[in-house]
Amino acid sequence: MTKARKSTQDDESGLDRRKFLKGAAAAGAATASAMTAATKVAQAAAAKPAKPEGEANMRGDSFIARPGSDFMLDVIKTLNIDYIASNPASSFRSLHESIVNYGGNKKPEFLTCMHEESSVAIAHGYAKAAGKPMGVLCHSSVGLQHAAMAVYNAWADRVPVMMFAGNGMDANKRRPGVEWTHCVQDPAGLVRDFIKWDDQPASLQHFAESTVRAYKMAMSPPQEPVLITLDIDLQEEAIHGEKLSIPKLSLSAPPQADERALREAARMLVAAQNPVIVADRCVRSQEGVEALVKLAETLQAPVICTGNRMNFPSTHYLNLSESRPGLVRNADVILMLEVQDPWGMLHGMGDPWKDVRRAAKPDVKVIQISLADFMMKSNYQDFQRFQPADLAISGDSQTSLVPLTDAIKRELSSARASEFAGKADGLRKRHRDMKERMKTAAALGWEASPVSTARLCAELWNTIRNENYCLAVSDRIAWPKRLWPTTKYTNMMGGSGAAGVGYSAPGAVGVALANRDKGILTVTLQPDGDLCYAPGVLWTAAHHKIPLLIVMYNNRGYVQEVMHLQRMAGLHRRDPKTAKVGTMIYDPEVDFGKLAQSFGVYGEGPISDPNAVGPALARALKVVKSGAPALVDVVCQLR
Amino acid sequence: MRIALVLAASLCAGAAFAQDAPKGSAERGKKLFAELNCYSCHGTHAQGGGRNSEPPIPAGYPWQGFLNQLRKPRLDMPAYEEKLVSTQEVADMFAYFSSIKAAPAAKDIPQLRNF
Repeated sequence: MTKARKSTQDDESGLDRRKFLKGAAAAGAATASAMTAATKVAQAAAAKPAKPEGEANMRGDSFIARPGSDFMLDVIKTLNIDYIASNPASSFRSLHESIVNYGGNKKPEFLTCMHEESSVAIAHGYAKAAGKPMGVLCHSSVGLQHAAMAVYNAWADRVPVMMFAGNGMDANKRRPGVEWTHCVQDPAGLVRDFIKWDDQPASLQHFAESTVRAYKMAMSPPQEPVLITLDIDLQEEAIHGEKLSIPKLSLSAPPQADERALREAARMLVAAQNPVIVADRCVRSQEGVEALVKLAETLQAPVICTGNRMNFPSTHYLNLSESRPGLVRNADVILMLEVQDPWGMLHGMGDPWKDVRRAAKPDVKVIQISLADFMMKSNYQDFQRFQPADLAISGDSQTSLVPLTDAIKRELSSARASEFAGKADGLRKRHRDMKERMKTAAALGWEASPVSTARLCAELWNTIRNENYCLAVSDRIAWPKRLWPTTKYTNMMGGSGAAGVGYSAPGAVGVALANRDKGILTVTLQPDGDLCYAPGVLWTAAHHKIPLLIVMYNNRGYVQEVMHLQRMAGLHRRDPKTAKVGTMIYDPEVDFGKLAQSFGVYGEGPISDPNAVGPALARALKVVKSGAPALVDVVCQLR
Repeated sequence: MRIALVLAASLCAGAAFAQDAPKGSAERGKKLFAELNCYSCHGTHAQGGGRNSEPPIPAGYPWQGFLNQLRKPRLDMPAYEEKLVSTQEVADMFAYFSSIKAAPAAKDIPQLRNF
């Protein structure tokens, strides 16, 4: 460890001005005042050679030969991290500079964000689409506080995010004033309830080992965010004599369910008359989708896909997600694959009287394959109400699909296989009928203005139907899940995880960034209230040329809360007309087209005429296909 | 959607029909529907919602069932008492629903043919 950091007399650039001028004079720089800062630094460097490695930087030195942050970047580069999302801050200024200069701002590239919540949500969406984490740089206490909600979303959605937070551990070296205010004794304490692991390395070697360990842990299912604290001194002080090494990254194979337990599950499923498969955060890739299709076809069992991942093609006749109540009601065995809320699958609860409604047979057998037991913590209650299972199996669902299917095949007699095959025609008809019901429902209010949400989604689909598409946030309106043909894992990316408002816009930008190089067109249905949280993410999309078609689902309010207010007013026998107070966003109405334009994004709207939506989307699509984001503001029905 | 079908089925039996409703003003009903925020769940054209199970109000919904659902709602809908929403106002809204032009059939909508 070196002995001293820059003194409090240093200016904001980190250069000691008196020493700099002295060095510059010695070099004969006659016009120092007219030079750019970069030129000054370069000339000063020539005038006074940097200390060789192995010597500590002391007060009086002008330069640091090789800062610790360079080595930190070397470590990060070994993890194949393409981007680091960040709102700039002094507690990681050294690593920031290492990224853009030492690293050439490539792999990772610095993504300029306007809020730490945006940084983490971008990384969240990106990881789901890219299949690997993005880095996030946060400013110690205040940055992590801003980031916290987005971290919780990623936690609840089981998504890996590689977070770094700057912090000054040594109180003796903190500059007075703001640096003290922003430093914290235990930064990770702010988010420890909803991250998988954290560490605060005290040396560069410690940083290397903990960062590789953190990445490995984040990627092992259940995948979750991790956090490494970046000590300011460790970043800024010169690397000296120690021999540093970067551990090799070797990801763990995901945990497959126990073979004997899978055999028992196979026996139960083969014996069942009406088995049903519920897939929640089951798969992580197309390989998983295909494995689930094989499992369902082997059993001829209908699948309910909750929408948190695209687990199962909507075009497949066994996808009966929109017939969930009847399927659950009649099931004798339900296979739950990484289902976040098993109790909620079998029960409903009235509001406000909290009356429990059983949605399944009392003797239905439940098989759970999940890693939930490995990621629960005490404080935050996203683990939901406890639901006993008849067969509970710990294991990664995606990894366990193939061995479970094999076990079912071994269990299946030819007679039973014929019986299963005989179900197919009935299930195909049920699937067709379900689709027709959805289309009939979508037609209601077709000509309505404001535009019905079904019309909006139908118009959007018709605009992109010939594209390899991805709906970046697919849980804000149910119509795409009901209507759109999905065949690929990448078609729909689910939602925020913890229903924390503010995810949709940055999450979509992250998804679009991951899709940019894959030739996948990214679209999103963007709630207005959500975009109002941190609209600066539009600038990030424009600046980094991230193609994304943003279609506003602008209902001018936080409408779920309108409904809650109505319910409370009814219960209290008071005026229901006041439910708009504090819940609706009008007077004035936000003009999202202009908002987009102000951030350098193509913007149109507001559009209330349903017949004007299609042409506007076609115009915006051209912009997106040219490599830029575009926004169309559609004023919609409230739900 | 499912809720609406359950309600419609349960309320249709033995219920009075549209001709039994007090005379109402569709224009006033439309305004009230917005003021009372009914449209937040049911949509301005009674088409229902796109999130979970916000129910449409089916065409041909019976007057007595309509009134009952407002006064003593089944499931999660809030209650609207006489002192807050008079029977005449309910009749106005009922007149509004009765005046809504039926939606085109899905098969006649080009944008829905591709699904």
